[in-house]
Amino acid sequence: PSVPSKEPGADSVAVGEGGIPVDEFGLPQISS
Amino acid sequence: MEAAITGYLSLLEGFITASDGAGGESKLRYAVNFKWTNSMLGLSVVEQQDAIFDFCCILVNIGLWYTKHAAVVAGKDGISMDEAKDVHKCLRKAAGVFQLVKDEKGKLLQQEMVTAPGADLDSRILDAYMHQSVAEAQEVTVARAIELKHAASLTSALANETSKIFQSALVSLQTLEDPVFGKWKIYLQLKHAIYQAYAYTYMGENLLAQDQGGSAVSAMKQALKWYESSELLCKEYAAAKGPGLSAKPESHLFFRRLGPLVRRILEKAERENGFIYHQNVPEEPPELELKATYGLAKPEEFSLSKISSEWTPAVYSAFDLSRGMKEDAKKSAGGGQTTEKLPEMQEKSS
Repeated sequence: PSVPSKEPGADSVAVGEGGIPVDEFGLPQISS
Repeated sequence: MEAAITGYLSLLEGFITASDGAGGESKLRYAVNFKWTNSMLGLSVVEQQDAIFDFCCILVNIGLWYTKHAAVVAGKDGISMDEAKDVHKCLRKAAGVFQLVKDEKGKLLQQEMVTAPGADLDSRILDAYMHQSVAEAQEVTVARAIELKHAASLTSALANETSKIFQSALVSLQTLEDPVFGKWKIYLQLKHAIYQAYAYTYMGENLLAQDQGGSAVSAMKQALKWYESSELLCKEYAAAKGPGLSAKPESHLFFRRLGPLVRRILEKAERENGFIYHQNVPEEPPELELKATYGLAKPEEFSLSKISSEWTPAVYSAFDLSRGMKEDAKKSAGGGQTTEKLPEMQEKSS
């Protein structure tokens, strides 16, 4: 298999304006 | 509930679309007389011999069920993250259902008489329910933004958007009479005022963080005005009479936190402007951010059921309109309000 070009699961992460990942409520994700 | 609704709508679809293979309008569309009451107009029955009337009324009830389910979950003490997601999703689904009825019924319902002023299928009512559902979904997001200490500018913009959506719901009801709709309008005014107060409060906090002491004081004075206005509206709402259960906004933690928050940040802004910044306090409050970038709720599209597999060409052709049903079809070529009353559904307050 070819080498993954991006982080696994990246496609399922919702992104808001400016490509910032957002949570289920549409708020920017805060890293814990 | 969803399985039952999918089952019912897929069977009802056979009364709307012919299951004879050709797929035109069902010969059964006008075969059955449907009776409903409206959520705001008491127990008077509205009847219509049209399956699409029943289809629209069922959808309105699904929307109302989602809003009430959300209210029950949201009313618990200390709700979990999953419950907050459930509330948010249910309210977006409700908004999607009301939107669907508004879009579909205009195309499909042929008689305006079922949309008496203030009836559930009146576009103004559907708009109000839709806007209110979206705004209430955003209330969950505003609470989360505050709890997670998101940027004050983000919270302010989102609170402002939420306030404006409550106002849109209010505008939808503006031309409806007060004895019935007054209490609902006051509720929407109250929510508009609360979120304006929140929007100015977080704006004030943000301005203070940017060393704009004068503007921060001005924003906080405006926040206090909106808070005082919301206190009055709470009393007005409690005294108002109208259909439905009454909320108790003044006892909700979210509202009880607002007054001390406004006063604390106003005091801080005045103190810091007096000691550090010495800036003039503008008469006019600063303009709120017009568009929130994050946290806006959108109606979730409601997927309609496909026609039930029970509807085969053989079953469809077995319905003989020349026997029995014909009389009903004659009886109600029109439809509309009747003097009949349906028994009231008892709704629990907890």
